[in-house]
Amino acid sequence: MFAFVLRRLAVAIPTLLLLIVFSFTLMHLAPGGPFTGERALPPQVLANLEAQYGLNDPLWLQIWNYLVGIVLHFDFGPSFVYPDRTVNQLIAAGFPVTLTYGALSFAAAVIFGVSLGAIAAIRHNSWVDYLAVGVSIGAQVLPNFVMAPLLVLVFTLWYGLLPGGGWSFDDPSFWIMPVIALATSYMASIARITRSSMLEVLGSNHIRTARAKGMPEHRVILRHALKPAMLPVISYLGPVFVSMITGSVVIDIYFSTGGIGKAFVDSALNRDYAVMMGVTILVGALTILFNLIVDVLYAWIDPKIRY
Amino acid sequence: MTRFLASTALAALLAFPAHAVQPAEGETLAENQTYTYWLLDAIKSLDPAKNTDVEGSDALRQLFEGLLIEDAQGNMIPGVAESHEVSEDGLTYTFHLRDANWSNGDPVTAGDFVYAWQRVVKPETASEYAWYMELMNIANASEIIAGEMEPDQLGVRAIDDKTLEVTLTEPTPYFLSTLSHTTAYPVPQSVVEEHGDAWVQPENIVGNGAYTLASHNLGVDIVFEKNPEYWDADNVIMQTVRGVTVNDNNVALTRYQAGELDRVQIPAGQYPRLEQESPEEATSVPYGCSYAYIFNLSEKGPEVLKDNRVREAMALSLNRDVIVDQILQGGQEPAYTWVHWAINGFAAPEGGMAEMTQEERNERARELLAEAGYGPDNPVRLSLQYNTDENHRLLAIAAQQFWRPLGIEIELNNVEWKVHTDRLQNQDFEVARYAWCADYNEASTFLDWFRTDGYNSGKWSNEEYDQLLAQAATADDTTPIYQRAEAILDEENPAVFVYHYAKVDMINPAIKGLPRENLRNTWYAKDIYRTAE
Repeated sequence: MFAFVLRRLAVAIPTLLLLIVFSFTLMHLAPGGPFTGERALPPQVLANLEAQYGLNDPLWLQIWNYLVGIVLHFDFGPSFVYPDRTVNQLIAAGFPVTLTYGALSFAAAVIFGVSLGAIAAIRHNSWVDYLAVGVSIGAQVLPNFVMAPLLVLVFTLWYGLLPGGGWSFDDPSFWIMPVIALATSYMASIARITRSSMLEVLGSNHIRTARAKGMPEHRVILRHALKPAMLPVISYLGPVFVSMITGSVVIDIYFSTGGIGKAFVDSALNRDYAVMMGVTILVGALTILFNLIVDVLYAWIDPKIRY
Repeated sequence: MTRFLASTALAALLAFPAHAVQPAEGETLAENQTYTYWLLDAIKSLDPAKNTDVEGSDALRQLFEGLLIEDAQGNMIPGVAESHEVSEDGLTYTFHLRDANWSNGDPVTAGDFVYAWQRVVKPETASEYAWYMELMNIANASEIIAGEMEPDQLGVRAIDDKTLEVTLTEPTPYFLSTLSHTTAYPVPQSVVEEHGDAWVQPENIVGNGAYTLASHNLGVDIVFEKNPEYWDADNVIMQTVRGVTVNDNNVALTRYQAGELDRVQIPAGQYPRLEQESPEEATSVPYGCSYAYIFNLSEKGPEVLKDNRVREAMALSLNRDVIVDQILQGGQEPAYTWVHWAINGFAAPEGGMAEMTQEERNERARELLAEAGYGPDNPVRLSLQYNTDENHRLLAIAAQQFWRPLGIEIELNNVEWKVHTDRLQNQDFEVARYAWCADYNEASTFLDWFRTDGYNSGKWSNEEYDQLLAQAATADDTTPIYQRAEAILDEENPAVFVYHYAKVDMINPAIKGLPRENLRNTWYAKDIYRTAE
């Protein structure tokens, strides 16, 4: 197991390198640059800017310098579009925000999703099941870009209960709407996956055996059904967790959280090369890490899996 | 206040009393003097040399003060400079600075302006707005940007701490109106040198404006507090100003209605309804930008557009009234000139298509196309490029519908912003949507665009037009010159002018002193106050 983790981490480094080289090249292939705008800059001004940011070096040298900066100084470079700040500062400001609302949303989605799915499976074909399936389909078809403005309308304008947007680490009232808007559709997916996986497990031999032994139903469910039923859910949760904590552009736009989800999309649209690379690397590294964690969890849940 | 009396006819006199808006009689001030305004997006930079956008300019105008500032009508009034004089040849301006302090208590000196302006043109600063010093025609700006001269050779010097002398390359009628721009603000040398790029972060920044920076949470909000060191602080009523970013205009409107914002832009198409529901709050005022469809007349452009009859037919048959009244619905004006109608001293030329009815225009368009050999049976095929935006899309569809019956088949080509501007600048388009906003309140800010060496993405070129604009720089009466220039645009149709912008906002009626007649919506929080409701 330990060797497996080490092996996977060793593969992670070339994977990240490839990711960096590919994204860097693709990014520079896109038409326009960070300084193309409504008015064309005089050639001399543009030349000064490109010299300042090293954009007139050959591409391989730019990639090399970029990598050297990261490895030696953990420096992801200056932002082209936010010249007052470095990429490190931008990520340090935005990532804690998305991490907070993302992790809370993840927790909410998992707790409600798994409970809803499990209850629906246990009370299969009863009104509870229909209600749970109904709720989860409803939540699934309500996209967050519809839900977010609705939440602001109801909670801010009509009832005046919650601030309509913005962010504060000290005041949880800013967190509620982003969490509801982000968690809902994930909760629905988790509920559906849990329900079908649970139904399958409940029909399997070891459950029948457990019941035949006269084991109390709650023990059958908690001890013997829930754990194996979680396998497909966990493989879904790995990438979902990463995408939730690295933020959602929709949440960031509608609730103006200052999170990193919008920064990522903006950096691509603005050709803010350094920010885009920084966030790409962050998301890439987290994805690799959480895929590894999922694999380790697999082995823990299902003793049949050996690495 | 010292008053300088003009000794020559050319010397300008500029010595108004200090300008501060005061509550009118019968108005009671609110206890809570705060103003919260809407920001569409994060502020990209608070460095006067690096700011490039409207959001940044609005913030910088509170934190810093230039030689001159603007009043509610957009007239130039004294800022840091109490008075100034101009040499007879119009090339040298001497400014006399008032006693003013930076927010750390240091005096604002002529040397701070010299340092700031040199910093803008210095290649190492890599200022995107370095060209602004070229627009101001400051001596040697272009050479320094090009790295051919040292920054200290810029045409600006401190005669003493309170006297600043600026040398221009040519007489520039609009020079004074460039001075309220953020690029021309002073910066504190010691602070910039101590902190580098981070000097504008809240813990470091030092300004000379009416407010100081209390906090700046990127993409969330920015908070300004009244600066007690400001020279006119006694007349500043508003205590706290807050800019709140809301990336979605509709959510921003909801938050305005919930009382979280005092001012917000009205989303497209909602002005008529809101004007009915809350006439006290819904406002529409002219805003100095013009919208156009540019024809690519360069070698890379389509052959068919080289025929002026085709261009004229397209210009004639675009039904601007429908665009303005049915689609935009926010007090915009149909455009038959490139210069925005509300620009100071501008009058549209007589005649031309503006004076025809739409039926007459369509009739004439059909004739022109027939002469050129086109019509519904043998249509002109062109692509119209626009960047991703709901309004641009609606307008492009409308244009497509107006042109189709005449025999002009338009293929819509939607691209993202960076691709759009990249193609515009490389002449990789046929017809493209474009908008230009005034840098200062004078017609040349628009007309220069079509000069052979102007931005001119379509590469139209006309010798007489270039000469007219060169003449205008030194002319006493520019009106007939600009009228002739617009008449040439009307004859030659390098673009279809579509509409002149309006700024359409919801404004809390308790907030007083916001300018309604300033074409560039240049507002200063020091001039506004909140009345008790």
